[in-house]
Amino acid sequence: MFQADRREFPSLASQLEVHPEEQDHPRLVEVPDPTRQDMQFPDIWLRDNCLCQDCFMPQTLSRLPQLWNNLDTSVRVLRQEVDVEQQVLYIEWSDGHFSQYPYSWLRERDFSKANRERYLSDFYRPEQQLWSGRDFEQIRRVFNYQELLTDDYELQKWLHQLAVFGVALVKEAPLQMDVLRHLCNRVGFMRRTTYGDEFSVRAQPGASNYAYLAAPLPLHTDMPYFEYLPGVTLLHTLEQSASPGGVNLLTDAFYVADILRERYPEQFRVLSQTPVDWADIGRDGDLQFHNIWRAPVINLDAEGRCVRINHSIPQRDSHFSVPLEHVRPWYEAMATFVRLAQEHSCSFKTTPGDVLTFNNLRLVHGRTGYDDTDRNVRHILGAFIDWDIVYSRLRVLRQANVLPQLTHP
Amino acid sequence: MWVQRLGRSMVGHAPRFCRPISARIVGKTNVEVQEQTDSQSLIFPGVWLRDNCLCEECFHGSSRSRKLDWDKFDTRVRPLQVRTDEQAQEAIVSWSDSHESRFPMKWLRERSFQEERQEKYLADFYRPPSRHWPGSQFEAIAQHFDYGQVMDNDQVLEQWLQALAVYGVALLRGAPLDEGVVRRVAERVGFIRRTTYGEEFVVQAKPGAQNFAYLSLPLPLHTDLPYYEYKPSVNILHCLVQTESPGGSNLLVDAFHVADRLRQEHPEDFERLCRVVVDWNDIGSEDGLEFHNIWRAPVICLDAQGRYTRVNHSVPQRDSHFNVPLEEVQSWYESYAKFVQLARAEAHAFKTRPGDVLTFNNIRLLHGRTGYDDTENNSRYIVGAYLDWDIIYSRLRVLKKRRNQ
Repeated sequence: MFQADRREFPSLASQLEVHPEEQDHPRLVEVPDPTRQDMQFPDIWLRDNCLCQDCFMPQTLSRLPQLWNNLDTSVRVLRQEVDVEQQVLYIEWSDGHFSQYPYSWLRERDFSKANRERYLSDFYRPEQQLWSGRDFEQIRRVFNYQELLTDDYELQKWLHQLAVFGVALVKEAPLQMDVLRHLCNRVGFMRRTTYGDEFSVRAQPGASNYAYLAAPLPLHTDMPYFEYLPGVTLLHTLEQSASPGGVNLLTDAFYVADILRERYPEQFRVLSQTPVDWADIGRDGDLQFHNIWRAPVINLDAEGRCVRINHSIPQRDSHFSVPLEHVRPWYEAMATFVRLAQEHSCSFKTTPGDVLTFNNLRLVHGRTGYDDTDRNVRHILGAFIDWDIVYSRLRVLRQANVLPQLTHP
Repeated sequence: MWVQRLGRSMVGHAPRFCRPISARIVGKTNVEVQEQTDSQSLIFPGVWLRDNCLCEECFHGSSRSRKLDWDKFDTRVRPLQVRTDEQAQEAIVSWSDSHESRFPMKWLRERSFQEERQEKYLADFYRPPSRHWPGSQFEAIAQHFDYGQVMDNDQVLEQWLQALAVYGVALLRGAPLDEGVVRRVAERVGFIRRTTYGEEFVVQAKPGAQNFAYLSLPLPLHTDLPYYEYKPSVNILHCLVQTESPGGSNLLVDAFHVADRLRQEHPEDFERLCRVVVDWNDIGSEDGLEFHNIWRAPVICLDAQGRYTRVNHSVPQRDSHFNVPLEEVQSWYESYAKFVQLARAEAHAFKTRPGDVLTFNNIRLLHGRTGYDDTENNSRYIVGAYLDWDIIYSRLRVLKKRRNQ
C-alpha cells in the first residue's frame, strides 16, 4: 500500500528542493486484479493522469494543463477503494481531489516490464527484423495497388511489412502519373523536399556519351544531407529498360551494421562516431540550395540501436571536418562497409506498374547501368513519406481493424 | 569544374601574382603544401585527396559531386610524387594507381584539416552556434526586422535568419493584415513544412464561448508537436487581430538556458531529464484522416557530444502511457516539476500587435499565452505555419555565399 505520510503541503520554495528520502521510497498504489497479477502505479502518475473533466479533455484526449502551473509532487493518496464488480479504482487525494480509473485503462498502462515491452513492440513501433540479401525471397511481400487503396487490412499489412522488413513491393498500379499521390494520401501526405513533392528518374534520351550508357548508381540512401532524412522512398516504374541493365539493388544496411559490430568492432566504432559532412549544392526551379548535414554513417540511439544510415558517394562533401588522424581509419572502415553492403545486396528488376517502397533510413539502394537509347528508355517516378506519418497510420489501422495481430513469417 | 576554371582565369586576367608554393609527401601517405616559406603548412591525408580528385573521371562538375567508383576504390592508394604549378596555383599529385590529380590552392585552403579552420567553417557556414539567454535579457537579444525589407532585401533576409539561428527568436514588423503573409514569408526562405494539421493553421478562440468567464484559457509553456520524430523546426505566427483585453500576451523562454541552469544548479534533475524517455502523443483527426502520433524521447535531448539537440515539453501532449520502470517515475516527476518551475521563472511576456510576425525555434524555445477575454468585440486572430531548419540553414548558406562572391 501507499505510505500515509500526511505532512503539511510544502511551500513553492521547498518544492524546488530535492527530497532524497522521497526518491528512495517511491509511493506506490497497489491495485488488486483478480484476473491476473496485481498492478502497481506511482501515486504522482495517477494524480497527473486523472480522467475527470477538470483534469482531462475527452475531445482532444489530452491532459488539461492547469495542475502543472504549480504541480505539487508531494500529493498523497488519502483513501483508496476498489470496486471489483465495476472494475474501477477510486482515489481521494490530499489536495482534495477525487479520481477514478477503469481497470481496462489501468491494465493498458501497467508498469510491468512485460506490458511495457508489449506496448512498445505491438503498438509504438513494430520490432524490426534484419535480413541479408540472400534471404530476400523469404521476406519479400507483394501487395496489389487497388487493394491497398480500398482495403484497410491490406494497407495495414503493407505498412507493417515496411516497418518490420523495410521493403515491400506494390504491383499492378496503372501507368499514370498520380499513382504515388494516391498511395501517399492513403497513408497521410507526401514529404516535400528541395526537389518538390515528386521527382522523375530518367536518363536524358539519346545521350551522346561514348557508350549510350546510363551509368550505374551505386548503393546509397536518398538525401543524407537533411537532418530530417525522408523516411520512406516510393518508386513507381512507368517504363523499364529492355536492356540487361537497370536492375534494382537493395541492402538492409542495419544488417550490415550488425555484422560490422560483431566482426569489426573497431570499424563499427569509427563509422558510428566519425561525423561526415553530407552535402547537396544546386537549384531546383528558382530555389537555390546548399544543404549540409553532419552525421556518422551509422547512427545509434542512446541504447546503441541503429536508427539511421547515411551513405552516398556523390553527396559526401569534400569538406571533412574531423581531425587529420581520424581520416584514414574512417576510409578503411567505410571501404569495409561498402564491400559488405554489396555482398549482402539483393537484386531484381521492377516492371512497369510496380511501386517499390522501402525504408530510406535503413536500406541502401542502387541500380546497375543500362543502355539508354530512344527505343530503350527507363522512367521512374519517386516520392517520399515520413515515418511519423506512416507509424501514425499504422496505429490507427491497428486499433480500427479488429483483426488478429499480424505475425511475422 | 568551376573551381579550376576560376583559378586559371584569375591568372589569365589579373596582374601576375604567383605566390611561391611547395608540396611534399610526409609520412608516406600524406601530402603537405605550403604557400609561402613563412606561412603555416597544410597537411592532407592522401586517401582523402584521392577520394576528392577533381578531374572529369572522378568528379561530376555540373552536380558538383563525386563520381569516383568506390566499388574499385583502394584505400591503400598513396601519393608517389607531388609537384606544384605556381602559374595555376595548383598542387599536382601522381598516385600509385597511375592517376594524376590537380588541386587548386584555394580549394585546399578551404578544406584545411587545422582545427581552428574547421571550427570557423562550421560556425560561419554550417550552423551558427546558438547563444542562450535568460528571460531578463529578452529585450536585448530579440531583434526586429521590417517585413517589407525581409521580402525585398537579401541582406535583411540573411540578418533575420542569422538572428533566428543564434537566438532562436526574431520579430518581423509591418506585415500586411492578410492571411497570405505566413506563406509568403516561408516561401521567401523555401517552403512550408506540412504537418498532420495541414500547411497553415489558425489560432482563434471560438467567439462567444459560453463558459463561466468568457475567458480563453491560458496556454502554458510548451513546444509544438513534440510527438513527431521530425518536429517542425520554426514557428511563424502572424498576428492579424489582437485582443484589447489585458491578456493574450505571448510567453517565450529559451529552454536551452533553462537546461543550462538545471545542469549547473540541479545536476541530478538535469541527468534524469536527459535520460528518461517520455511518450509524447497526439490522437485525433483532421480532414477525415485519423492520426495517432507518438514519439518517445527525453525532455532534454543531447547529441553524442552532450550538446542540446532538442527540448520536448507539453502538458497536454504527454501520453498517459509512461514506459519506464516503476522506480523511475516519482523522481522524474520531481525533476520535471523543477524544469517547469524554472521555465516559468525565465519566461518573458510581451504582446504582439497586428502586422507582427513572430518567428522562433520550436526545437529550443517554449512558448505560451496568457488568458484573455474573448468576446465578439474582443477577439484575437493568429495565422501560423512552420519551416524546417534543413531549409533555413540551406537558404542562409546560399545568401552568405552570394554575399562573399
